[in-house]
Amino acid sequence: MYLVADINVDICAATSCKLCTQYCPEANTILYSDNLGKEKGLKYGSAYVAVDRCKGCAQCVWVCDNMAKHHAITMTMIDQLPKAAITDRITYLDSGGTKAIAAPVEVA
Amino acid sequence: MSLDYVKFSPGFDKFMPKEYRDMVEHGPFGKKVTVSQMGSFKEILEEHPMCAGCAMTLFIRLAMISFPNPEDTITVGTAGCGRLAISQAAIPFVYGNYGDQSAVASGLSRGLRLRFGDKPKDVVVMAGDGGMADIGFSMTLHSWFRKERFTTIMLDNEVYGNTGGQESGMTNKGQVLKMAPLGKKFEKMDMVGMAKLAGCAYVATVVPNNPRRVESVIKKAVLVAREIGPTYIQAYTSCNIEYSIPTDKVMEDAKNVENDRYQFSEHLTEEAKHYLATRYGFKEYLPKPATATALPQA
Repeated sequence: MYLVADINVDICAATSCKLCTQYCPEANTILYSDNLGKEKGLKYGSAYVAVDRCKGCAQCVWVCDNMAKHHAITMTMIDQLPKAAITDRITYLDSGGTKAIAAPVEVA
Repeated sequence: MSLDYVKFSPGFDKFMPKEYRDMVEHGPFGKKVTVSQMGSFKEILEEHPMCAGCAMTLFIRLAMISFPNPEDTITVGTAGCGRLAISQAAIPFVYGNYGDQSAVASGLSRGLRLRFGDKPKDVVVMAGDGGMADIGFSMTLHSWFRKERFTTIMLDNEVYGNTGGQESGMTNKGQVLKMAPLGKKFEKMDMVGMAKLAGCAYVATVVPNNPRRVESVIKKAVLVAREIGPTYIQAYTSCNIEYSIPTDKVMEDAKNVENDRYQFSEHLTEEAKHYLATRYGFKEYLPKPATATALPQA
């Protein structure tokens, strides 16, 4: 098992600074969805992680804790995530933003 | 080298892999994208085999987003960590044999100008400090003296990261590395000074802990290289393996190094300022009025 980043939607959608999307060294790994927070009645959308691309470097955790000071990202074992987005289930939207079908992580 | 190569052949679109379909439908080709939109469009850079938490990858990712016309851009690189990611991108990559990337780019940019005339085609050289300041040093410097119009970007990790940690010309004096156990004996090479001396039209040093600044620096460098002359960017992209930086502290290290020895600096010739202001509307380089007009007294 290995660690991947997990973003707390409740904290992220309250501010939506998008800093983690700009500091992740992996392309298209931390993505942004407008609907993720709004479905829960929060003000903004939220960032989320495509777990199959995350290499677990935790740079986003440092950025969220020290630059944004939101403490919304934690490193979690991949089999302990209740739901996660993977690249195949992510759709890019014409209006900008993305949409993901998040499903329980299948661990072989 | 045009928008035609990012289209589906008729009848093949449903058979293409998801990544390719996303790239055609939601990629940055033919649009203007900025770093603030990151995470909402398909990027040029794909999955790559670089180490977790590598600051060089972050810089390359930002650079790929910052190219003014990605569909008209060719990158040239050489051996080293950087090309592992640069060659995974959806824009053409030419591999220069170790050290001759600037010579390859010279021929390429001259050929593209002959073939396409005034239509801008950008050539961007991205190589490490070893490939550019040690092995390809003569060709890098000669391309500047010849005023070849392309952008040179040095990914300066201050070590030969790919081969186990030998010292390079860009390593700091006294630095002990795995393959340099006695410490480096001479000073870090002043490539920025040499670029200015050789007559580069735009010279900048940058650290990737400020994505918007990286974006503006690369945009300016590529635009100036279209018509004015050679441009050079030196970027600090730490090697977290050879310098033993924990991956979650990479940005902290970048911040410390920026405060210590890698302050942001930008040098433009007057010609380049005038070109950026008149052609591309960079307001900060518009000539200021000689005397400020006094406000009328009430």
